[in-house]
This record gives sequence, structure tokens and C-alpha cells, in this order.
Amino acid sequence: MNQATPTREEVLISQLKNRFPEAVKEGKVDRARYVTLTFEKDHLLEIAEFMRNEMVFDHVKGIAGVDYPAHKKIEVLYFIGSFSKAEIEDLVVVLKTELPRETAVIASVTSIWPSSHFFERETFEMFGVKFEGHPDMRKLLTLDNWEGPPPMLKDVKFPEIGQR
Amino acid sequence: MMTQTPTPNITYNKTDEPSTLDVSVGPQHPGSGHVRLLMRVDGDYIVSIDPDIGYVHRGCEKIAEYRTAVSSIPHLERPCIIDAIHLNWAYVLPIEELQGVVVPPRGNYICTIAAEMNRIMSHLYWLAINAGVFSGHTTIFMWAFGDRDLFIELAEWLTGARLTYSFIPPGGPRRDLPFGFEERLTKLLDYFERRLVEYDRIFFRNPLVIARAKGVGILKREDAIKLGVTGPVLRGSGVKYDVRKLEPYGAYQELEFEIPSYEEGDSYARFLVRFEEMKQSIHIIRQALKKMPKGPIARKAPLIIPEGEAIGRVESSRGELMYMVQGDNSDKPYRVKIMNGSFRNLIAMPALIRNVHIADMPIIYGSLDYWPVEADR
Amino acid sequence: MILEEMYEGVKHIFKKTFTMKYPYEKVLLPKGFRGRHLLYLEKCTGCGICAWICPERCISMVPITDNKEYYQNPEKRFPQYWYARCCFCHFCTDYCPTGALDYTPDYELAEYDRNLLLWSPERLSKPPTNIGQYKSTFHGTNGSRGVTYQPASSKPTQRATSNDS
Repeated sequence: MNQATPTREEVLISQLKNRFPEAVKEGKVDRARYVTLTFEKDHLLEIAEFMRNEMVFDHVKGIAGVDYPAHKKIEVLYFIGSFSKAEIEDLVVVLKTELPRETAVIASVTSIWPSSHFFERETFEMFGVKFEGHPDMRKLLTLDNWEGPPPMLKDVKFPEIGQR
Repeated sequence: MMTQTPTPNITYNKTDEPSTLDVSVGPQHPGSGHVRLLMRVDGDYIVSIDPDIGYVHRGCEKIAEYRTAVSSIPHLERPCIIDAIHLNWAYVLPIEELQGVVVPPRGNYICTIAAEMNRIMSHLYWLAINAGVFSGHTTIFMWAFGDRDLFIELAEWLTGARLTYSFIPPGGPRRDLPFGFEERLTKLLDYFERRLVEYDRIFFRNPLVIARAKGVGILKREDAIKLGVTGPVLRGSGVKYDVRKLEPYGAYQELEFEIPSYEEGDSYARFLVRFEEMKQSIHIIRQALKKMPKGPIARKAPLIIPEGEAIGRVESSRGELMYMVQGDNSDKPYRVKIMNGSFRNLIAMPALIRNVHIADMPIIYGSLDYWPVEADR
Repeated sequence: MILEEMYEGVKHIFKKTFTMKYPYEKVLLPKGFRGRHLLYLEKCTGCGICAWICPERCISMVPITDNKEYYQNPEKRFPQYWYARCCFCHFCTDYCPTGALDYTPDYELAEYDRNLLLWSPERLSKPPTNIGQYKSTFHGTNGSRGVTYQPASSKPTQRATSNDS
């Protein structure tokens, strides 16, 4: 056979692209076992519902925010994995989406994946991203009376105290 | 299609019944770091709990953007200092992947031996404090710390420091095994295997410990999968998930070992998972010492982190540890994201400590092996 | 059976104890123990790599001011250590291109005055004097007897630097 059988990662990307042609923008496989998918933020709940029910991805390993002040956007990354299905047990799927920097609002996935509860609280506090539908949105790690800007944004400079 | 069982309840009940009382446990340092638990108590029963964390938050992710890759190794290994090799290794794996550096086989074996020694040390600390002192058993506290000191002295001989190793910069470990290290380590492992039998008799078969831990804090398999817990908490509920088998890093591809797991899901099962893991670590170290190849231990790594994004995963003592590093062609990374086992297991606390006696709370907290400094970063 | 578990604990009453009488007896530290640093003034070129790599930014390069005959070039710089911040990772020792820094087994650095923790290059170049004066012990595991403690020798044995054998 000239054409190799598609790997699991490629099957996964094509399955998601066929189901959501307008929502999933691109998918790539940088190395084995890691799939990165970029999608539109408005379709998050549909994609999450499909991934949990049909493809049996059942937990969130972490949610990260990345600040790009030069491009005026904040990226939110979801790291999804599966415990129940043995064929995809070692995959890590990274779902990436972009939010505008001034009004960063996205739907919360706690109704679909309960494991994302504390991760969304931390991303709200560190980057100022609001998750709509989260049952308990309050500060997690910083002081109770912290009034300043979200600490992980690139505008907040880390004070360097050094001898040089 | 996955059938949907009800999600476990993790909310803090806000009803104002006159018989309940809000008790704040903390902010105090229960053996491993500052944490505060806000409990709603009705007589002798804890109705619900709200973990108030963040007392040890130091901004590790922000600091890592201001330091070069080598210079941030001491910062990023301090969150869980008793497990320092794993935190160090998980940070270095994505940087090596972005830079294209391949560690020679002997270097991988040395890192594996150091990592498994560190796992034994971390589980001994857990046994002494989180399982021993929290249940009132101070004998196992003395014994486990005494035996842990023997491992620390060997690690001091290997790396130069007792606890803060900073042993793995990008490219491979810093030092080779000293002359005479294998004999002394083998003698120590023989001695430690005999001690594990004594631990079994005095602690794990102790009727008081069994009465306090069996049937307490049961985490069913479906709930464990939904809540996304990791590490021994997950393996104590019947899910065999270990990164060392799924995505072998270091020298784990060539070593044989088993993953212990128990079906019951109560605190006693989580105790036994860590006990069995110590035995498996002894087995891994013995194999690695026999199979170790000769050759160089490290390669030179460049100073610049190229553009791109990489993820490194290891299995630390508390669970799956993932670092995501984004580089932008300078010597400092653009973004470092840390996802560790303690922060993922945090959600099990309000789910499990619900409608239990007050005396069950230290046992459940100890069986989760929550390390506050690691969770807060 | 509960008697088995109780015997396990009770048998330790009849074992010998060991107490190491610090500071008269100290543990024999291995070669390459990461204590404070030792600077060889002849080898240092003043490149500043140690200051650049230091994670805590505790090294700065200064000229020697208290011993004017020691250096050949009055504009030469040497590292000065702020030990209140040092985390003893010894990246500076490993990355020095000429090998001008060395490990010492000296860990007793406490001072009554905080300013004395800023070590000048002159002070760093003197090998430690407070070690090797007392009996050292080491312990190891031995077959069926478990952990054994023995004096390394009755004469002082601690090495001053890691380069001495």
C-alpha cells in the first residue's frame, strides 16, 4: 500500500472537522500523542459535549491562559484526556481558542467536565477571563483584598530586586 | 455513548440552619504547607467543606518568564521540594524537545534511579506525617523519618545536597554515579525491604489504623474519572493509569514493573497503593542498576529556547505532572504552565469530606496526600 | 494476631541507641558536598558567568579593595557573594570556564550581624578552618545488623576542600 493507514491522531482530527466544519479551524499533530486543535469560542459547549459523549474524553487535566499583548488577544488552552477508553488513554488533546483582550468572556465547561472547576477559577483570577455559568467564581490564590490587575498579564511587571 | 451518573457534589452549603457552625481549620501548616479549610459542622458531623488555598502562592509561573531555563530550575523545584527530581525533570523535558537535545542512555538511567529514590523518599514522608501523625501513630513517624534519612544521605553523595538537588539541567544530569555508589545503594535496598515488612506489621495491619481508615472517604470509580483526580488517589479507585507506562520517558521503556491498584476506593486502599509503590520502586532501582550502560551522561544544550510549544509529562509521587513551555527565540521562555497532581486532587476534598465525622477529616486529608505549596505554586 | 504487631514495637526497647554529640562529633560529608564556595584568585578571569547564571542574583563582580598586593590588574573584578540569598545550587561552580570556584563542606555560616553575610572575594578565597578539628562519624547499612554507626577515625579526618583526597 502506498498510503499509510491514518494514525489515531489524524482520525481524531478528521472526526472533529467533519462534525464541526465551521467551528474547528485547524488541527495539527506536532509529535506523537499530542493533538492541538484551534476552534471558535462560541462553539465550545457543543464540541465539549461531543467529545465527552461520542469520543469518551472524560476529564480536563488543566486550563492555561496565555497573554499576547502585541496581537491583542488572550489564548485559553484546555488539556483534555481520557481514562475510560483504552485506545486513546495516552493522548492529550489541546483545545485552543482566542479571546479579545479587553472583553475576555467564554462559556464554562463545568457542567460537562466537573474536573475543570478549580482551573477556571484560577484562570479567571490570573488573566481576567470570565467564565459564564461557573457556579462559584471567586478568587483562589491571591490575597482576599487584592485590588490590582490580574497578575499574569504581561502589563504587570515582576519587580526585579538584584545586585546587578 | 457514556451513561451519565450524577456528578458528586462539591458546593459549600450556604443554608443558615441554627444547628450548624462554621469552623475554620487553619490557616495552619498540617505537616506540608499552609492551608485553610472552612468547615460547616453540625454536632459531630461535617456537613460540607470549602478549601481556602493560596497561602503559599508565590507566582512561580510569573517568575519563570523572567529567568533563563537553567536559572529557573531551583525556583521550579521548590514547590514540592521532597519530590524535587520529578519537578525538575518535567520542566527540562519540553525544553530539550524544543531545542532538539537528546540525552544519552546513561544519563537517562541515572535520572531514573534518582527519580525512583525520590519517590521512595516522598512516600516515606507521606507515611510519617500524612498517614502516621494525622492518625496519631507517632511510632511510624519516627521510623519512616529515620529510614528516609538513609536515602537522603545517599542522594547527598550523588548530587551534593540533601533535599534541593537541582540535578537535571537541560541536556542531562550534572554528575555521574560516584565510585562505590551501587554497593551502598544495594545494601540499603536490602535493608529497606526488611523494614517494609516491619512497617506492614506495625502500621498497615494495626487494627486501630484499619478501623480508622477502612470504609472512610470512599471515592467510587465513576466519580474518580469525572473529577479528574490523578496519582495514587486514582489508582486507589480502580483505574490503572500511570504515565510511566503510557508515555515512557527516561529509561522506563526498558524496565519492567507493575502498577498497583485497588478497587475499594476508600482511604485504606489509597494507603496500600503507596505502600505497594514503594516496593515497585525498589524493584525498578535494582533493575536499573543491573542494566545501566556505559558512556557519556549529558550533552551540551544551547542557551536559546526556539519558537514553539512543547509539553512534558512525568509521573510524580502525587500524580501526573505536566509542564507546558512556550518559547519565543530568546533565552527566557514566554509562558510556563504547571499542572500538578496536588491541584488536580484538590477537587476530591469537598467531594469526599461530606457528612463524615470530624475525626475522619484528617484521615481523608492524609490519604489524598495534598501538598499545598505544590498546588499553589 | 495482635501479639505479632505488639512484639514488633516492643522489641525496640532492648536495642542500643545512638546519639551523635554535635558539635563535638560531626557527620563525615561526601566529596562534592555543596557548602559554601571557595574562590581561587589566580584562576578567576572576571568573566561574570557565575553572576549571570545565579538563580537568586546574589553574585556581583567587584574589585578587591582590602588586599592591594594580591592582584596584578587594578581593574580586575572578582565575584562577591550575598549568602543571605544563596540557595547553594552551585551552578556557578559548574559553569565557571576556568574552574576558579570549588565546593567546600563548610555549612556553618551563621553570623550575628547581617552585613557579615556579604562575603568579599578575599574572604571567599580562604579555605575553611573550622572543619577537620573534631571526630567524624558515618553510618551505613550492614547486612542483618541494620544501621551501624562507626567513627571514621579517632583523628580529625574532614577534608578542607573537595580537591583534597
